[in-house]
Amino acid sequence: MRTIPISTLMLCVMLSSASATTAKSAACDVSREACVALTDHAIVSLDISPKPVRAMKELFFSVTVKGARIRGPLLLMLFMPGMYMGRNEVELKQAPDGSFTGRGIIPRCPTGKNLWQADIAIPDHGSVSYRFYVNY
Amino acid sequence: MSITDSVYLLIFGSGLLGGFGHCSGMCGPVVAAYTLGLGLGSGDVKTYAPAQALYHAGRITTYGILGGIMGMTGSFAGVVESIERFQNMTLAVVGMLMIVLGLAATGWFSLLKGRASRKIAPVVSGFVSRVVRFIAATHTRGSLYVMGIATGFIPCGLLYTAYIAAAGTGAKAGRPVEGFLSGMFMLVLFGLGTVPALFLIGHLTARKGAWIRKRMSMVASLFMTAVGAIFIYRAFQG
Repeated sequence: MRTIPISTLMLCVMLSSASATTAKSAACDVSREACVALTDHAIVSLDISPKPVRAMKELFFSVTVKGARIRGPLLLMLFMPGMYMGRNEVELKQAPDGSFTGRGIIPRCPTGKNLWQADIAIPDHGSVSYRFYVNY
Repeated sequence: MSITDSVYLLIFGSGLLGGFGHCSGMCGPVVAAYTLGLGLGSGDVKTYAPAQALYHAGRITTYGILGGIMGMTGSFAGVVESIERFQNMTLAVVGMLMIVLGLAATGWFSLLKGRASRKIAPVVSGFVSRVVRFIAATHTRGSLYVMGIATGFIPCGLLYTAYIAAAGTGAKAGRPVEGFLSGMFMLVLFGLGTVPALFLIGHLTARKGAWIRKRMSMVASLFMTAVGAIFIYRAFQG
C-alpha cells in the first residue's frame, strides 16, 4: 500500500490500462494535498484541511472510498510512528454526498518530532495508511 | 456514566501503557531528579512511598481539573491556548530547579567559591545554596503535593491526547456539569494509569539513591542538569 496524489492517479488511469495498484508515483504528502491509497478493490482518498496541517488546531478530515460499498461510520486513527501517544481516533460520519467526514486534533509532541500517521480501516477491505509531517 | 464504559477503560489503559512506554522516558527523569534532589533516596519505603503518592496526587489533581474544564467546554484547543504560556513557564521553572539541584550536587559551586572572583562567586554559590536549602526545607508532604500540581502542567503529547478525548466526550454530554464530571473522571483514570510506571522509577531511584550518589554522583548530577537544560529549551521553543 502506498499513497499517491489524485492527479497522478488519474493520469495513470488515463494513460495505462494497468490496474491502479501498479500506479507509480512519488509519495504523496497529505499535509499539503489530498492523497489516495489503494487497498483490496478500493481506492481511498484522504484530505485534511486547513493546509498546511498544524498541530493543536482543529482539523477537518474528509475520506472518499471508491470501489467498495461502506455502511456506517469509518474510524480514522492518528498516531506517531515510534512514540506511543495514546488513542487518538476520529469518527468519520457519512455525508449525503457519500464521503466520510469528521473533526479531530493532532497534539504537539514537546520533543519536536512531527511525523504522524493516519490509519483508516475499511470494513472487509483492509486498511490504508498515510504518513505526513505536521507543522508545529 | 459508568466505569465499565469502554472509553473509561481505554483511557485508563492508555495511561497504563503510556506510563511505561512514554512517561518513563519523558517524565521519568523528573521523578528520578526530585527523588534524588529532595533526598528521598534513603531506601526506606516508609519515607518515599507517601512522598511519591502525594506527588502523584498533586499531578492527578491538575489533570482532573483541566480534564473537567475540557469536558465542560468541549474544547481542547481553546483551553490549551489559554494555559500554554503558564505551561511553558512551569517547564522553565522545573528545568531551572533541576539545573540548580544538579549543579549543587556536583560541588562545582564550592569550587567556584574558592577559585574564581571573590565578588561574584560567593553571590552565585550563596544563591544556589539558599535555593537548595529552601527546597530541602520545604520537603514536607504538603510541598510535594504542590510540586505535583505544578508538574501536572508540564506539556506532554500523551496527556494532550487524553485531553482531546475528554473534550470530545464533553462535547457529546448534555449538560456542562456532565461534561465536567466525565472529563475529570477520564483524566483522573488516565493519571492513575500512569502511576505504576512512574512509581516504579521513583522506587528504583529511591532504592538505589545511596548507591547512585556514592558511585555515580557526578554522572547523576550532570544527568539532572542536562534534563533541566532540555526542559528550559523546550519551554522557550514552545
